Amino acid sequence: MSAPRHLSPSSAAILRAVIAAIRPRGHGFDQPIDEDVLLEVDRCLPCLPALARAALPLGLRLLEWGPAPFFRRFTRLSAMPRDEARAYLQGWLDSRLALRRLLVHGLRALVFLAFYQHPSVLRAMGVGWDRRLAETVRLRADTLDREKYGYPR
Amino acid sequence: MAIPAELPAEVSARIPERGLAYPNCESGRGARRGAALAADVLVVGSGAGGAVAACLLAEAGLDVLMLEEGSLHRTESFSTDVLAMMRALYRDLGGSMILGRPPIVFAEGRCVGGSTVINGGMYWRTPPRILERWEREDGLPEIGPRAMETAFAEVEREANPETQADDTLGVHHRLFADAARALGWHPRENLRNMRRCAGLNNCAFGCPTGAKQSTLVTWVPRALRAGARLSADAYVDRVLFEGGRAVGVRGRYLGADGRPSDRFSAHAPMVVLAAGARHTAGILKRSRLRARPIGRHLTVHPNAKVVGIFDQTIRPWWGAHQAHQIHDFLDDGILIGYAVPPPGLLAAALPGLGERSAELMALYDHMFPVGCLIEDTSSGRVVLGLDRQPQMLYSLSRRDTATAHEGVAKVCELLFAAGARRCLLPFADLAEIGSPDEIRRIRARPPDPRGLELMTVHIMGSARMAADPRRGATDPFGRVFDVAGLYVADASLFPSPIGVNPQETIMALVTRNARRWLERDVPRLRAARRDRA
Ligand SMILES: Cc1cc2nc3c(=O)[nH]c(=O)nc-3n(C[C@H](O)[C@H](O)[C@H](O)COP(=O)(O)OP(=O)(O)OC[C@H]3O[C@@H](n4cnc5c(N)ncnc54)[C@H](O)[C@@H]3O)c2cc1C
Ligand code: SF4
Repeated sequence: MSAPRHLSPSSAAILRAVIAAIRPRGHGFDQPIDEDVLLEVDRCLPCLPALARAALPLGLRLLEWGPAPFFRRFTRLSAMPRDEARAYLQGWLDSRLALRRLLVHGLRALVFLAFYQHPSVLRAMGVGWDRRLAETVRLRADTLDREKYGYPR
Repeated sequence: MAIPAELPAEVSARIPERGLAYPNCESGRGARRGAALAADVLVVGSGAGGAVAACLLAEAGLDVLMLEEGSLHRTESFSTDVLAMMRALYRDLGGSMILGRPPIVFAEGRCVGGSTVINGGMYWRTPPRILERWEREDGLPEIGPRAMETAFAEVEREANPETQADDTLGVHHRLFADAARALGWHPRENLRNMRRCAGLNNCAFGCPTGAKQSTLVTWVPRALRAGARLSADAYVDRVLFEGGRAVGVRGRYLGADGRPSDRFSAHAPMVVLAAGARHTAGILKRSRLRARPIGRHLTVHPNAKVVGIFDQTIRPWWGAHQAHQIHDFLDDGILIGYAVPPPGLLAAALPGLGERSAELMALYDHMFPVGCLIEDTSSGRVVLGLDRQPQMLYSLSRRDTATAHEGVAKVCELLFAAGARRCLLPFADLAEIGSPDEIRRIRARPPDPRGLELMTVHIMGSARMAADPRRGATDPFGRVFDVAGLYVADASLFPSPIGVNPQETIMALVTRNARRWLERDVPRLRAARRDRA
């Protein structure tokens, strides 16, 4: 299995805990794909704005050590039971401080994108966009009226 | 996580946009250190504005060099792998933020073809009332509906705006139109720049069927055929000046990881900025141009979305991106339309963590997201951030907040008329309603923008045209005031928001302006070149 290329091992460990806490569960969404999600999020990091990229390791550490100051639990995020970790992260989403909200909103968006767009999840949802691609390219090739559209231009 | 799509080579070969030639185009990645380039005209950006400007100037015989920060991604490389496409085609993965009250999520393209590669393809002329206002109140000449007719006709020849074929419509398209009619509204069939759209709804991630006529498959290759050159992966940092006139630009090539690598400079007597309403203002500011209107008057067409949840199966992902719009309320500043994002994007915009998100997303096939676009009267600014990148600041006025509330209420009326059981709302303190009676709770809200979730894909006006240098950054034909040789050719030019999708307006304004430059400015430029020679 490949390792994250852009996250340090310690940042990756914290992100793993975030994924385990917030990833969808139940209702047909129990695919064991946390590691794929982590790798996909890792692939996205170079595309983030420079400031967000630079601030991410610090943000992850704030999340890791935040349960004591923000949640009154003398533990670290990665050591918390999953439900408690989720409640803790929900607290960040509901925070009055915009920066706290923004950090967890951003991570949540990346995790959900990677999770729900995973081929096994799309299959489970019955969303067949990839099949449609082949269908629609063929449909267009078969029905394209080149005279009407002025091809070749 | 590539999603395999079985596409026989024989089928692909019958699609004219797959396999298009891009002569004279090279990536800055292979360029040499400290490269010094020269041309008659530099065009920065290859989106809706830049590609049109480059093409018209090249066809008039000028030596044009396009400098584009993004990479060249061809039609045949487009797929339904949403994240891979977002990494390739979007800036900031589509999650840029406009800071203010409330913060607004903003997406734009960063690739050859700019945002036209990822846009929905809606192709509407500027409403006549807007053009009349620009002429009458803003004092801009030759911009009324009659004067603009030839420019519209010219860009439409390339874009081919047409309505959806029946076999591209799914359940939700019909529900939308039927519900609107039942309410006494008049759904308009959408005009989209396409040649036989096949209804894949992948427009926001590059159109793999080649149907969408983005500048990537129209104006850019046409410009290249006319002799223009294109340098991709070339980020322009600032404009260079000599004796008060623009003489070129300076920038950095971008490496495979998207980070700046070697420097380059490019020289030309004519520099056209078409980097979009955020980055054109950023380049002007990094070039130390201090005129007050630069970066001001930013408008953003804020969008609020409502997700209707139905008992019946909708399969919202099946069928064209958007087939109808409601224009009945344009005079009140409200346009209603829809767009169905793939599950990952929709989930990111809906509430809930863990099981709560799963519970909602299990209903994806029963969801129908409908939105309203607001013609805003508020305005914001583009400023340079700590990293010297342009940052947008914007707060929604009480008046526009009230308009957004009314838009959301109307969208809920439509969704309930279509048979929705409940509507998920864009308000932090009112997450959903379950019956049409509750719509009055939306109308009764105080016009406070806090907690209102908004996004946008249209930004405009940050270097607007004006008759008076105190009111705009460029003259009525897009020449930057007080700097000879410097032009703007993108959405920054808009004197005001227009209330409909902007790409045709951008292309038509640039056509109008480029014709004027060719008539008045270019002969002087040619004479100067002859003298030098
Ligand atoms: C998801 C989405 C959907 C949309 N849907 C529609 C629609 O259906 N109909 C419609 O009319 N409009 C739509 N729009 C909006 C429309 O596409 C844009 O308004 C239009 O493309 C803007 O044109 P522009 O020339 O101002 O900028 P862009 O088209 O964004 O082009 C700017 C180009 O400049 C490049 N650039 C930026 N900075 C630099 C730099 N420093 N150096 C070099 N190059 C640089 C960028 O990479 C980009 O390629 C949509 C936009 C998005 C993002
Ligand atoms: S709906 Fe599909 S075929 Fe039509 S323009 Fe969009 S991506 Fe292309």
